[in-house]
Amino acid sequence: MLTKFQAKLFFLVGTFLFSAVFLLLTYDSLKYVYSSSSSKTLSEEVIRGKELWEKNNCMGCHTILGEGAYYAPELTKVYERRGPEWIRVFLKDPQAMYPGERKMVKYDFSESQISDIIAFLKWNGELDLKGFPPKPEYKSSTQLVNAESAAVVQPEKFKQICTACHSVGGAGGNVGPALDSVGKKYDIAYLQNWLRDPQKIKPGTAMPKLPLSDNEIKDLSSYLSQLK
Amino acid sequence: MKYKSQKIAYWFFATCMLLLSLQIVYGFVMGFARMGFDVLHDWVPFNAARATHTNLLVVWLLTGFMGAAHYIIPDESDREIYSEKLAYIQLISLILVGVVSIIGFHLNFWEGRKFLEIPRPLDYLVVVNVLLFLFNIGMTVWKAKRYTTTSLVLYFGLFSAALLYLPGMIQFNSQTVDSYFRWWVVHLWVEGVWELIMGGILSFLLIKLTGVDREVIEKWLYVIVGLTFLSGILGTGHHYYYIGVPEYWKWVGGFFSMLEPLAFLAMAMFAISMYRKSGRNHPNTIALFWTIGSAVMSFVGAGFLGFAHTLPQVNLYTHGTLITAMHGHLAFWGAYAMIVFAILTYAMPLLTGRKLWNNPTGLFAFWASNIGMLGMTGAFAVAGIAQVYLERKLGLDFLTVQKEIQVHFLGLVLAAFVFTSGIVAFIINFVRFGAPTDEALGAEQASGDISLARRS
Repeated sequence: MLTKFQAKLFFLVGTFLFSAVFLLLTYDSLKYVYSSSSSKTLSEEVIRGKELWEKNNCMGCHTILGEGAYYAPELTKVYERRGPEWIRVFLKDPQAMYPGERKMVKYDFSESQISDIIAFLKWNGELDLKGFPPKPEYKSSTQLVNAESAAVVQPEKFKQICTACHSVGGAGGNVGPALDSVGKKYDIAYLQNWLRDPQKIKPGTAMPKLPLSDNEIKDLSSYLSQLK
Repeated sequence: MKYKSQKIAYWFFATCMLLLSLQIVYGFVMGFARMGFDVLHDWVPFNAARATHTNLLVVWLLTGFMGAAHYIIPDESDREIYSEKLAYIQLISLILVGVVSIIGFHLNFWEGRKFLEIPRPLDYLVVVNVLLFLFNIGMTVWKAKRYTTTSLVLYFGLFSAALLYLPGMIQFNSQTVDSYFRWWVVHLWVEGVWELIMGGILSFLLIKLTGVDREVIEKWLYVIVGLTFLSGILGTGHHYYYIGVPEYWKWVGGFFSMLEPLAFLAMAMFAISMYRKSGRNHPNTIALFWTIGSAVMSFVGAGFLGFAHTLPQVNLYTHGTLITAMHGHLAFWGAYAMIVFAILTYAMPLLTGRKLWNNPTGLFAFWASNIGMLGMTGAFAVAGIAQVYLERKLGLDFLTVQKEIQVHFLGLVLAAFVFTSGIVAFIINFVRFGAPTDEALGAEQASGDISLARRS
């Protein structure tokens, strides 16, 4: 078997050799990162967003690029998933968005700070992550109503906020119920009241009270009421 | 003990026990929050609890390693520590940095990078602190009457741990590069230099407890740490699959990660075969339990469970889920917590001169904490697998999935109670030993320390 000298040699040569390879690959990886398109879009805004991300230890609950804690959602693709408007509304009052659910700390971010954070999340979402996070494999999508045949077109607000949780025509989130035939159940007046303050109509509901203007409520309810 | 200055180790060990208790408290805060009882949310939000929990782990383990060094290095070097005063100054400053950091975490004062949450200004204090420690231990080794492989490996491990703290202190603007160098600290610590420290402590304990010839043990120590670095350095690549670096990391990281369990397997086989070679039994059986246990559990937790989710095909789904928490808990427990417990159990009778080994409390501590930790790992595993399937395969919403797996956290908390009962028993034993005394000088002879008897 090995002598002690040979064992020592194995340790020293192995360590030295693999450290050298590691440094070489590090050099190559940095070259790759700094010549990729993501380094050109790394703006001041993104950097400020990253500072806010770190200053508040967001990684203590969330993961980004799959790294962090596992108490709150993975945020790499949150920009794609929710869109900037939704994130903006959410960050202003996280607990209002998920009443009675797992809580996020309410930070007093200013408008520009929120923009910075959104820029940071957008930048990360656009990185080439070699297929991470994976697309769900067995997600079913059912086409109940042809939403495009609706007479009133989908309001912008609906695309920005509502689709994060609800789906229409198989597209959208699955947190809240699908809205394909919501018009059969409720009329415009009910929907307007509902959107103004869901908690008042159904205490304990997961539907948040959203910061919507009267006009937006009107548009949304007339759109929803025709989904039959 | 052979030298008066080895008593310093006791104060490091005591700090260690205190920090561990606090870590467990924060673990419970998180466990209950996950079950839906997030009552402390306004004072201790999850991110504060999490930062405190993981940083306390790092600090108590490092304190344990430092204590081990203060016990082992004088023994191996055949001389008193270079400066006792420096050692106490260093311990006190370490506690100060720790306390300030923990309070800071609750006041939104941190760096916000996983495992490296200690705020930047305090990082400099950490560096000064560690340099003090390395200087003191280094001078002891330097002026030693003899140089042993065990002490060199231990010192080299501690030194590299300090060196590798530095990449974590550089600021990067790109999340990708930030992540890249963060793993230089985190991965190269736990899967590299900390294993040197563990190997050093393990070989010291095996020499003392089994009485097998030093030459044989130290030869295998080289092979094991050689294997560790051979697989561990490029194994860092398993953190680089999905952070935006070149594709080849999937091959490099995947291949060398497959080799990583080998180092742990070698460690476990080595510890068991040395034990079987010993022929005679050391009276301090519980120290032997912890020593062999550490080698075996580190294989299960770090080697096997690590392997279970480092292949890129699997990691694509498990990356950033509770599967990581499952692997992390058993890996840290087996490899590092248990080795600290082993050196503590071995050293306490010799520091205090009280032959309090092999009592029912000590035995209970070993079994309850191990069974509890295995239970916790199991709870994390089931929750993690369910999470991966529901969230990553079926595409259910994050919070919906969390509600589905909430029940497993009841299992986790119950197992945590079993674990905690073991730790409490261990601490009760620790307190029973009392403070170290000079009367314990030369206690090795009385304890039937086999190697020492053979050497003289």
